[in-house]
Order: sequence, then C-alpha cells, then structure tokens
Amino acid sequence: MNDVILEVINLVREFPVQGSSREVVRAVDDVSFTVYQGEALGLVGESGSGKSTTARCILRLIEPTSGAVLYQGRDVLKMSRADLKVFRREAQLVFQDPYSSLDPKMRVGDIISEGLHIHFPRMSKDEVFAELKNLLSLVGLREDHLNRFPESFSGGERQRIGIARALAVKPSLLVCDEPVASLDVSIQAQVLNLFQELKESLGLTIIFIAHDLATVRHLCQRVAVMEQGVIREIGSREQIYQNPQHPYTRSLMVSVPEPDPKSEREKLRLRQAGLDGEAV
Amino acid sequence: MIKPQTQSVKASSNSGDLILDVSRLSVQFQGDNGPVLAVNDVSFQVRAGERVGIVGESGSGKSVTAQALLSLLSGATIEGEVNFQGQNILEMAPEKLRKLRGWDISYIFQDPLSAMDPVRTVGDQVSQVLRLRGVGRLEAKERAIAMLSRVGIRNPEARFGDYPHQFSGGMRQRAMIAMALIGDPALVIADEPTTALDVRVQAQVIDLLYELTEERGVAVVFITHDLSILAAFAQRMMVMYAGRIVESGATDDIYYGSIHPYTLGLLNSLPRVTGDIAKELTTIGGQPPAPTNIPAGCAFNPRCRYVVDQCSEETPQLTIPKGANHPSRCHRSQWLAEKPGELR
Repeated sequence: MNDVILEVINLVREFPVQGSSREVVRAVDDVSFTVYQGEALGLVGESGSGKSTTARCILRLIEPTSGAVLYQGRDVLKMSRADLKVFRREAQLVFQDPYSSLDPKMRVGDIISEGLHIHFPRMSKDEVFAELKNLLSLVGLREDHLNRFPESFSGGERQRIGIARALAVKPSLLVCDEPVASLDVSIQAQVLNLFQELKESLGLTIIFIAHDLATVRHLCQRVAVMEQGVIREIGSREQIYQNPQHPYTRSLMVSVPEPDPKSEREKLRLRQAGLDGEAV
Repeated sequence: MIKPQTQSVKASSNSGDLILDVSRLSVQFQGDNGPVLAVNDVSFQVRAGERVGIVGESGSGKSVTAQALLSLLSGATIEGEVNFQGQNILEMAPEKLRKLRGWDISYIFQDPLSAMDPVRTVGDQVSQVLRLRGVGRLEAKERAIAMLSRVGIRNPEARFGDYPHQFSGGMRQRAMIAMALIGDPALVIADEPTTALDVRVQAQVIDLLYELTEERGVAVVFITHDLSILAAFAQRMMVMYAGRIVESGATDDIYYGSIHPYTLGLLNSLPRVTGDIAKELTTIGGQPPAPTNIPAGCAFNPRCRYVVDQCSEETPQLTIPKGANHPSRCHRSQWLAEKPGELR
C-alpha cells in the first residue's frame, strides 16, 4: 500500500461523569489505526461509539487523555503553535450539520475565503477571487452564489459550501463527520459522489465518519467499526462487507435497511429469531 | 380487564374493512409571499390491519398529509375529505375529535423528546389515554406497566415513575409506541418515528411496531423519507413528490417494478451493503422544489432523465398504464412499463 499519512496510537479520551468528581467514562478507549496516503477510511459506529471524539482528538480540537497522533511522522499532540497551524491547514474538517456550521451573517464568498486570508495572507484580491471561482466549480456551485448568505441555500448546497471552505486551504487530509446524515436521500448520493471525485482529482486522503455501513461502502476502501470507544474490527471493504468477523459488525449489517423487500423480509426474520429482544 | 363501557365506545372493525378514506385532500398554507400548496389532491385508502407507507423527501407534503389525518393543522386551508370509519374528520366537532385522537387513531411523532411532556412521568403519560376514558387510576397504572413491559422496557414498575429525559432515545420511542397502542386504536400514524435513532435501534423499533400492529390488527400509516425502511414493513406504499402522489402500489411492485422516474431514481441512489460497488452512485440531479416554487407541468420534469416536451406543458394524471399493475403520475409510464427491470 501507499505511504502512511496518519497514525493513531493508543488514543484515549476520558470525560468526567456528570455529578461525580472521580468517575470517568472512556469515550475513546485505546484506539490505534493507520491511514494511508490517498485512501478513504470509513469510521462507522452508532452514537456514543466514540467515532466523533476520535476525529476531534485527531484534529486536536479536543485534547486526548493519552496516546499519540502521528501526522506524517510527527506527533500532533506535541506540536508547537507554528507547526500546529500548518497541520490545521493540511487537515480539514467537514461538519455534519450544514445549518449550524455556517455563520449565518457571513456571505458565502467570505465563508469560503476566510481560511485563505488566515493561511495565505499574501494572496491578492484577484488571486483569492480566482481561487474562489475554482473552488465553486469543484463543488458544483455558481459564481453568483458568492454574495448570498447561507439562509438562501438548501442543505445539500450548504454542505457543498462547507466542503469548498475545507478545500480552500489545500488540505491533504479531510475528516468528514457524517456529512450526508442530514441530507435528503436524493442529495446524499450527489454529495457522496462529490467526495469520490474530489478524492481522485485532488489526491485527498479522507476519514469518513458515518453511523451506518451503507453510506461508506462506495467511497471507502477500508472500514473501521467502532463500539463503546473501541475499534471492534478494521479491514478492507471486501473483508468487512463480505466476511465480517465481529458480532457487532454483523449486527450492524443486518440492521442496515436496503431497498429490497425480499432480502429485508429475510433480515426481519433473522432479527426476530436472534438479535431481537436485546433492548437498547 | 377492560371495562365494558370503555370498550363499547369504540367502533370495531374487521380485518379488511375500509377504515380510512382520504379523498381529494389539498392543504394550503398562507405563506409570506402568497399561498403555498403543500398537499395537492391526494386520495388514498387504508384497510383495517394494513401497513401503508408514504415516502417523500422534505417538502413532499408527506408530514402535512399525516397531520391532516388527525386534523392537526391549524391555520391551513384544507379541501377534500378524510373519512375515518365513515365520518369526515375534517368536519368533526372539537369535542368529538378529542375523543377520537389517541383512542381510535393515535400518532407517533418523530422526536419523542419534544412530543412528550418533560415535567410529567412517562407512566403518567402512557396511562393518560386510559384515564381520560374513565379507567380507574390503579387499573390504568397496571395496564400501562403491562404495555411498557410489552414494548421492551425492562423493570417497567420502576421506570413508570421516570421522566422522559431519564430514558434513552430508543426507550423513549418505545414509550411513545406504548402510548400510541395502549388504547387499542384502529389506526396508528407513525411520522418518521425512527429518523433520530441509530441503525440498530431503528431496526428494533420498526420490528417492534411491526410485531405489535400485526398481533393487534392495527393499521399503520408510516411516513418516511427512507424507502429502505419500508421494504419489509409496508404492504403497500405511496411515493409523494411536491405535494402529490406520484406512484402507489404493492411494496414489491414499487421496488421491483417501479414505473415512475422519481421512484426509480430514489431506489438507485440509495447506498447498499450488498451487491456491486458501482464507481458512482446513480443520482437524481438538482433538488426537490420548494412548495412555493413548484415547476409547471410535471413537478419532477427539471430533474427527470426521461423528460420530453410534454412534461413541462401538461400535468400528468395518476393512472394505471396498459400492461402495468399500479398507477403512476408520469407521461412516460406506459413506456417505462414496457421496460421492466431494464432501468434499474
């Protein structure tokens, strides 16, 4: 395989339990995995599995309790301010909720170019504008969108704005935290395809977080399944979908609904025979 | 256990009887920039014990349709009829309507946290339906505990006194199902009841609703944006787009033999965990129209890959084309019906 871009080693993040001074809950419990240059890695788990906390620790948006995150061989957790600034340009986050993640009082052009002003302060106005035009066409938006505010866009378009903002500073690593979960079904596929295109045309490395296994299957060559802060299984797409080893992966597989009545009735029968009764 | 006087209030229905007959329902809201037609000439029927799905994206009118079934829309101009067991709900006196709601027809909301009263215990809310019909406090509590236990809540005696925030999301939705079914209604309207839940919990909640309605012979109208979750659940379904029904039929006929480009597009764009990994997911271009700005002719025509000139000029009717077994609202449904399976 390709070069390693990111290595997560024994990552732990604890949170204090509400109402207790000593008890802690381990949201991320000794997680280790490797991300290779140019791949898309799916990180799948239900709410409370620790997938988003893992992502936030990788980007050092929250401080891990212990462990290491090596980005191109250097520990993100021990970086100096200057190095961290470079890292924060190279690793970008795409948020889940396209409504709360865009400042309603900023115009689209300002939202997308904010990072350019911070990371490339010497860019001229013309250069910024040229870059904006380039970004818009990458994500499928139009030039006349630049002067509008987020409120005039649909969820899918807002997600495209969020993606353009992330791409503006030329990242190598894109961490996507459930970016299609809140979109209409017919829009989800458009955005998933956009990630696929961007990955190929820009050579991006993507960590794609999702709560179900169907969403990541098209995009991701490798998939990690998380539960209760632990990676239960990690493997190639073929291994995970065709021959899942961990019972949790299997229970996720039979729970994902597919638009096929015959196989769904069979899955319903399987669930009623085996997995049913385990109340969550 | 059920007192005769509380039971006798309810009109009984035999399996297969027509219990709900929605006829030419239109709902119009007064928007900032003139009237907004959210539901446009919708007709459908539900028989006793039947599970029917309504699928649509945001703005399709599916939730407004659901709310109209219980006359929950205030401030809207409503046309048409919603006949439940022979009576038009839309013309019912408030007093009568109150007796019907939660008792003969109940509603499961998308977000139980906002649908339940945060300062009253779960048990209180589950037993309320019975208490309002004159069931004694002790008996109502007993039956509520039995119901909570039936929906899979462990240690129901202790949980009876818990408040909604002490329940997890899945548990709350189970409690909502208990609340909806405790009065043995003839019809349950479930409005995206699992959208906020994790996949495994979602599967459990849908399975539970399936089992309970099957064993009690309750009819369900299940509203969702996700075609996949209806595949095993619904016997029959309708697909809505821009306020209208665009296709309706038996579940298998829709999934394996759809004759509407929108339904076909939706089915093809859904990601799966099995089958070929196509390089790209098939997509429907563009986005659903806002109810304030519905395209002329067929509302789907700007996004349709099979569009012809006629589509932007003339609104298609919901008709069964020759050689097909269910209706579709598409000028080219005849052509689509001649190509079974080829377009998937």
